[in-house]
Amino acid sequence: MKALRIMLVLAAFAVLAAVPWFGSDVLIQFGINALLLAVLAQGWNIIGGYTGYASFGNSVFYGLGSYGVGIAMAQWHLPFAVGLVFGVVLAVTFAVLLGIPVLRLRGHYFAIATLALAQVMTAIVSNVELAGQNIGLVLPPLNNDRLFYELSLGLLVLATLTVFWLTRSRFGFGLIAIRENEEGAEVMGVNTTLYKTMAFALSGVFSALAGGIHAYWVTFIDPESAFDISLNVKMIIMAVFGGPGTVLGPVVGALSLSAISEFLSSEITSLASLFFGIVVVVAVVIMPRGLADMLRRFRKTGWRYFAENIRTHRL
Amino acid sequence: MDLLGQVLINGILLGGLYAMMALGLALVWGVLNIVNLAHGAFIMLGAYVSLYLFTYAHIDPFLGLPITAAVMFAIGYGVQRGILNLIVRAPMFNTLLITFGLEVVLTYLAQLAFSADFRTINPTYAGDSIVLGPVVLPLARLMAFGVAIALTVGMWLFLLHTRLGRAIRATAQNLVAARLYGVEPRHLYAVTFGIGIALAGAAGGLYGTVSQINPYIGAGLTAKSFAISIIGGLDNPLGVIVGGLFLGILESLTALYIGPTYADVASFGVLVLVLIVRPTGLLGKAA
Repeated sequence: MKALRIMLVLAAFAVLAAVPWFGSDVLIQFGINALLLAVLAQGWNIIGGYTGYASFGNSVFYGLGSYGVGIAMAQWHLPFAVGLVFGVVLAVTFAVLLGIPVLRLRGHYFAIATLALAQVMTAIVSNVELAGQNIGLVLPPLNNDRLFYELSLGLLVLATLTVFWLTRSRFGFGLIAIRENEEGAEVMGVNTTLYKTMAFALSGVFSALAGGIHAYWVTFIDPESAFDISLNVKMIIMAVFGGPGTVLGPVVGALSLSAISEFLSSEITSLASLFFGIVVVVAVVIMPRGLADMLRRFRKTGWRYFAENIRTHRL
Repeated sequence: MDLLGQVLINGILLGGLYAMMALGLALVWGVLNIVNLAHGAFIMLGAYVSLYLFTYAHIDPFLGLPITAAVMFAIGYGVQRGILNLIVRAPMFNTLLITFGLEVVLTYLAQLAFSADFRTINPTYAGDSIVLGPVVLPLARLMAFGVAIALTVGMWLFLLHTRLGRAIRATAQNLVAARLYGVEPRHLYAVTFGIGIALAGAAGGLYGTVSQINPYIGAGLTAKSFAISIIGGLDNPLGVIVGGLFLGILESLTALYIGPTYADVASFGVLVLVLIVRPTGLLGKAA
């Protein structure tokens, strides 16, 4: 059973890796977007799924990563790799400086504080001269979609392996303990402030790398698009739809929702955002623990699974 | 000095409206323990209801407020009864997520129905103002301020002194006990949410007379309403008046001394600061 599952994952990975060699340009471009969204969902999974802190502000990390690459390449004429590192440094600095005070908040308060941070970033960056103010930055073009695709896939694999490591490391157990009972974790000797900050930073590192790759790929960034708040909606929905706190759930959620939304938006433009809204509402009501949990229990209970979810949570 | 006085007046007038926007959010949060991330979207919808009443039925936006409020009450009642009641006992994160989803749906539908253009509700007296010594009081803003403060205080009296108000407060304190005393929670939750949305809608109608509206104003207004509820605390409906005035004045002063683009930065900065220093609100009881 376990061997079968590993084989399936490896086969899926091989197919994904081969896409640029047989797929059309449109498919590759869709793939880059979908893979980067999957990285964001997986990054969110670390802080939201495993640590239980529902961040609505991970778009900030994505934006910082974009601007790290943007500033390094457009303003300082440094190579892409240096830009990625710069973006990661910005994200980690942000995670530590703001994470320590904000991670003291719980529940609604943490969610809204991070949402507020996400909202002010556009205004702040619009006033920074180095970041090209509200005009944005133009990066040197690199017309190699295959490379960007494989980079995105590599990053997704790295993020997923990191999450897999969480499920069997002391650090990961510490995070899960914080999610289940923070006081209890503290009593058992988990340094909660350190662990939460590290989880927030780790989540930020992957989001920033995704932002950096995306910036170089589209060769243009401005505050509105780099710090787009609706990215938070997308990454959270994808992670939650797939199954937060599981290794593969967010990846499956991201890829499947991206595919459906791409199909819809090719039929009717901008129907995609409506689709995301409806998916959240329906998913929260009938399958609040995501696809992963549904697949596991559906075999036993069948259609009653959905009714039972409603019965346990309704008034 | 005249400029500063005028800016303070503008801030206070805006603050009254902010208070009313936040009142619905604070009520729903305090009683149902739902932080409604779609709150701003309902404010936006209310603004459009008022706009359409004014444009097509020629009903003055201030006189039409009861109609706007009634329409929004019905929508709010339906949303709570049909959707939110199903997940009231789910973890906090799920309620945040579902209202986030509602906000996306409402914004999209509004964009489809009303187009993304900026609109204003422009009654004939929109440009009139009262000159009071060195400062000018724009008539529409002054009226919006008056109505907002009156409704906020009225809401407070309603919660304190009416049977329904007591039932709502009792439910907020202890659902099980309220049930034992004959409160029907599914209905009462829907009524409370409906009142919150009616307040949001009426605030939207007033907002449309003093500012431009489009389908995307919701998210920013939700965050502001949240900031005000936090500053004022959830224990006392009058807290939102203090919070609203504080935020209105802060934004006006920031726009004057630092720059208009920083007005939002200042208000969200204060939100984060207050959350960190005193999460129960500046006026709220200590946790």
